[in-house]
Amino acid sequence: MRQYDVIVIGGGLAGLLAAAAARKSADKVLVLQKGVGAIAVGGGSIDVLGYGTDGRLLPGPQAGLAMLTAPEHPYSKIGACLVAEGLYFFSELTAKAGYPYGGSLSTRGWLVTALGTLKPSAFFPRSMDASALGTAPEIAVLGFNEMKDFYPELVVQGLKQRLGTNKKYRIIRIPSGLAAGRDVNSLDIARNLDHPANRQALALQLKRTLPAGTAIVLPPVLGTKPDYEALIQLEQETGCVFIEAAGLPPAVTGLRLQSLLINHLRDEGVEIMEQADVTGALVEDGVCRAVYTDNFDRRRTYGARAFVLATGGFYGGGLLAGIETVTEPIFHLPVRTAPRDEWGSESLLPEDGQPFAKTGIAVDASLRPVNAAGDIQLNNLYIAGRNLAGYDNCMEKSGNGVAVASGYYAGKLAGEVRA
Amino acid sequence: MNHEAQSADKCIACSSCTVCCPVAEATREYVGPKMAGPVMDRFRRPGQQNDVTFEYCSNCKNCDITCPSGVSVSTLNMLAKNEYYKTHRHTVQDWLLSHIETLAKIASPIAALANLGRDNPLSALILEKLGVVTSMPMPKFASRTFLQEFKRLKQQSYPDKVVFFPGCFISYNAPQVGLDLVAVMQANRHEVIVPDSFKCCGSPLVVNGYMDDARKNAEHNLKELKKWTDQGYPIITCCTSCGLMIKQEYQELFEIPGNKEVAAKIYDAQEYLLELMDAGKLNTAFSPVEGRYLYHAPCHLRVQGMGRPAVELLRLVPKLEIVEANAGCCGLSGNYGFKTDKLPIA
Repeated sequence: MRQYDVIVIGGGLAGLLAAAAARKSADKVLVLQKGVGAIAVGGGSIDVLGYGTDGRLLPGPQAGLAMLTAPEHPYSKIGACLVAEGLYFFSELTAKAGYPYGGSLSTRGWLVTALGTLKPSAFFPRSMDASALGTAPEIAVLGFNEMKDFYPELVVQGLKQRLGTNKKYRIIRIPSGLAAGRDVNSLDIARNLDHPANRQALALQLKRTLPAGTAIVLPPVLGTKPDYEALIQLEQETGCVFIEAAGLPPAVTGLRLQSLLINHLRDEGVEIMEQADVTGALVEDGVCRAVYTDNFDRRRTYGARAFVLATGGFYGGGLLAGIETVTEPIFHLPVRTAPRDEWGSESLLPEDGQPFAKTGIAVDASLRPVNAAGDIQLNNLYIAGRNLAGYDNCMEKSGNGVAVASGYYAGKLAGEVRA
Repeated sequence: MNHEAQSADKCIACSSCTVCCPVAEATREYVGPKMAGPVMDRFRRPGQQNDVTFEYCSNCKNCDITCPSGVSVSTLNMLAKNEYYKTHRHTVQDWLLSHIETLAKIASPIAALANLGRDNPLSALILEKLGVVTSMPMPKFASRTFLQEFKRLKQQSYPDKVVFFPGCFISYNAPQVGLDLVAVMQANRHEVIVPDSFKCCGSPLVVNGYMDDARKNAEHNLKELKKWTDQGYPIITCCTSCGLMIKQEYQELFEIPGNKEVAAKIYDAQEYLLELMDAGKLNTAFSPVEGRYLYHAPCHLRVQGMGRPAVELLRLVPKLEIVEANAGCCGLSGNYGFKTDKLPIA
């Protein structure tokens, strides 16, 4: 049996952050992942808390955390102080990697979406910062002719509703230069803009029609790598401000964050094992000794002092919904759900969220799994990410915020476990 | 055919595979694994297979590595290819590149002549006409096959014995790799058995749509391997594609009784040595090796869910510094890069 200090199950944002945090105090950290996780499906922004349970817009991430009253919410379990510590850990990590995220805990940031709506966020790539929309005299929305999934007309319509019609709006459409072959998406254009010469050509085209100082909203296409080279070059050559909109998968902004985290973990000597489908665990006296993967050939067993379960929710396969029950497939932990006939609310987007979204594993203040009576199920297992009970990231806009905070805290605690 | 492999309905269309597909990155002519695999699969009917999107797929398996929903995307492509070639003719290029073992059996006894015959301008012209790349050096046929060399070896006998499945490349092109493995196993007090009954694992046949030929090889190999695994012998492979084929792809593509039991006994050589280490049995009297070496993890290793055992092993060697290339797919994908039309993509 291979022996490690910490094993993280799951390679999404919560899992990778947990591995990075654990590595600070543990030597041998292993990530077991099945598939790549959902970082590149989301947009890579760290939304902490945008709306309260009554649907009211919160004044800012930190103030929002202070106003949070739900005791079952993962943020309440972790505590505002450690949530902030996790977010700063993340923020510093992006800075060290040469791709510093913008935003802060004290002020609310705004992102623009491909529908022209505005979304409150906390930490995000500088290229997504939409604050210039408020100050720029002119807003241009840039679309690429052959690209689906981003319609400048729709974005302008949405922005006019939110920012008013006093501003000057302009739509610019340019050829992607990628007419042949399959449908064009943002990743194709981003790959094109990885080359400085293509960026220069784009800058020249924009300069001809747009006055300096224009805020340009465009799909997430400013390069595939976690750096700001494309953004800086385009800003310098046009004198305009570029704002990447949050769009549909594949989200290039999320892809950059994924590369950044994987590069960081490799530099730190964390082993990431791909295609490792964890199917069960060896548990003795309330302690997890090892987990195992089942492959086409045989079972492989990996032992550690502490484990982090970051397998995601329904989407990631960390929670499985049956007709009557929801289960957690690896440790068979108790899952907290609403009564069966209350899983769904009749309103599609109720202000206090869909009850099924709050389904998950209940934990104690150290993110260890507990049953309905509050008894700790396993002493050296920490839960992180979308499989946690008590929050609806969709309605409250806490997507990735809970992943970062719980991933950091779970990894930190797991790394500190000694034999 | 294994129904678990026909897993198109598990696809939630997240596009992760298309993002990570090295072919889709290299050419926009390829619709990408999501479209070619699970999406197109719903429109395919047996005997009415006319779409050829799968021809771009090199079966590198990065889509399978990426998929969060457990879809065997590449296998869907290989199955579609098989359906297509039930009613369509293969090219000579496909035949040449997939039946390397047949060619090698003819060429090996006259290796020097065969290499010369292949490397002269006239042959180059003919090969180019047939769609085989000649601008890259092709692996030369060894003057003596691995089996011939192996039979000359005098091994120390030990109670611990392993069976070695050499595969075509070691058998006919790079026998030294196999001989080195024997030396390493001997240093670890193991005796190596190499039966002369194994055939090509079938990997180049599957990727070129010769599924029936591949199935014959699979049935033959499993029968031969089972004779050894039934007696408790572990099987060792050095080629990650052979290992993947026998362990996994046989199960995904065919339903051959006893496959799972044989698969459970097949070890990548490096993983086997690591297991010796875990059991405290690895001979770690390594001589120091000065220098920095780049390690490239093959895609067909990454998809096996065992990490990078070679890296762990090499880190035991004193003074040796190992840097992981993290370069992704090499592009060559067995014989894919040797096809004239695929060379720019590779």
